[in-house]
Amino acid sequence: MRGAALLCAVVLIGGCSTPPSKVATAQATHEYPSPKPAPQTAVAGQPSAVEAVRAFATAYINWTAETVPGDMRALAERSIGQARSAVELAAVQTASDYELQRGGIANTGTVEAVAPLPGAADQYVVVTRESTSATNTTAYQGLQPAWHVALATVSEVGAGEWVVSGWQPES
Amino acid sequence: MKLVIAAVAGIALAALGVALLAVLMTVFTQGSPCATSPVSGFVLGPPGTGQLVGATEYGGPGDPSSGVIGASGANLLQNPDSYAELGGTTFQTATAMGGLPYMTPLRITWSNRSTIAYKRDFGLGGGPITGLPRVIDLWWELAGQIGIPYENGMWSGPVRIERPPASGAGGLLGQTPSVLTAAPDPAGCAPGPLAGVSTVPGPRAQLLPNGLAGAPADAPLAVKEIVAAGNQIVGKPYQYGGGHGLPLSDVAPSYDCSSSVEHLLYGGGLLPVSYDAASGTLESFGASGPGAWVTIYASADHVFMYVAGLRWDTHNAAGPGDGSAGIGWHPLIRSSAGFVVRHPVGL
Repeated sequence: MRGAALLCAVVLIGGCSTPPSKVATAQATHEYPSPKPAPQTAVAGQPSAVEAVRAFATAYINWTAETVPGDMRALAERSIGQARSAVELAAVQTASDYELQRGGIANTGTVEAVAPLPGAADQYVVVTRESTSATNTTAYQGLQPAWHVALATVSEVGAGEWVVSGWQPES
Repeated sequence: MKLVIAAVAGIALAALGVALLAVLMTVFTQGSPCATSPVSGFVLGPPGTGQLVGATEYGGPGDPSSGVIGASGANLLQNPDSYAELGGTTFQTATAMGGLPYMTPLRITWSNRSTIAYKRDFGLGGGPITGLPRVIDLWWELAGQIGIPYENGMWSGPVRIERPPASGAGGLLGQTPSVLTAAPDPAGCAPGPLAGVSTVPGPRAQLLPNGLAGAPADAPLAVKEIVAAGNQIVGKPYQYGGGHGLPLSDVAPSYDCSSSVEHLLYGGGLLPVSYDAASGTLESFGASGPGAWVTIYASADHVFMYVAGLRWDTHNAAGPGDGSAGIGWHPLIRSSAGFVVRHPVGL
């Protein structure tokens, strides 16, 4: 009992109240603790979830090889979370995509339907009708517009302001 | 005789469940101007470069027994850009072209014209046509659009078929699950054929005068198989998205950088036949750094490789003297700045 009390006193003197360093924590947990990420903000929300999804989808499917990096960067600024990461990645990759530029690929389309996913209050099924064309290859000539489906997740970022926070094209 | 199988079109989208199907049904039945196939608008294109196969045509006044309703229930008069895959009496067994999904687009070329057609039907088929396997039946109006003679419904002959590249923003930006989740399936690995490769002395592959490569005599079997697979497709036209969506065992009508590299790696038994990924995915292939025999240089926008010292690439990247301008073997070393360096384990 005396030993335990002594140990406690030593620990207190040694600074029990001081949090351990991040390096010391990392040695114990094998993970360097990173700060909690700051809340993301989007430059412009939409007044409803459906409008946010529709605006995001419209921008996502309408671009040319020349505009797509900028289009995706702009889309990143208007979204948060995984959706922002996905389009930021697309912006970086398309900026240096030799084959996309070489083919002069372009994509156009319309959003045909946005419907809530039953059982998931923040998720929507998005149906688009898209055409892909190219200026430097005949590979897409005569190809009909095709239906595509994506799953969108939305978040309310302010009073009545909605943005897309998740985007997963399924086809 | 085309059997009726309803709702096949919806199956491809069933992964998102009943809710998604309900959305699609709603869209399809609301009379959207885009909802039906643009039947009046065949768009003819230049000749394709696809695989030569045996074809027949069906329907029309000389073939009343075929009727006008395809096996899916589609009215072929309203959807004349249709073809049937042959080889069986159901969609499941008519697999002469590998069992293409319903509505798969194909570019059909006859003589100097081509058009896009969609799979809406199947048929039993028959024996070879001028030595080619009989794999496809063309709706007679489709055939007529590219100049195939009707011959009272009795025409048969060779056509070229090829898959158009993937379309749609998700696919082009590499964000659909088929791209993201492509993963090796060891059960699907199969070594490629070794036919068509000669060996040369020494430790390095050599570019031969005919554009093919000779494999080093002392190289491991897998390296020789990679060289053989490359020789299979040397000179194929470059096409963005070309070669994707097909089994790697096929010789596609065209390739891009990733599909061509993957064809070679499959030839060496290093990828499963169903593997299909963009160049960036190969940044994590195998092990880090250069290999003793095979080194892959991958980035998000391009991939090329060296096989026993000889570069496999889809374009002439090292200036004059770099061999052919297109898909094939290139004798010169190119810049590797910006690429992730990988190699197959053991090679």
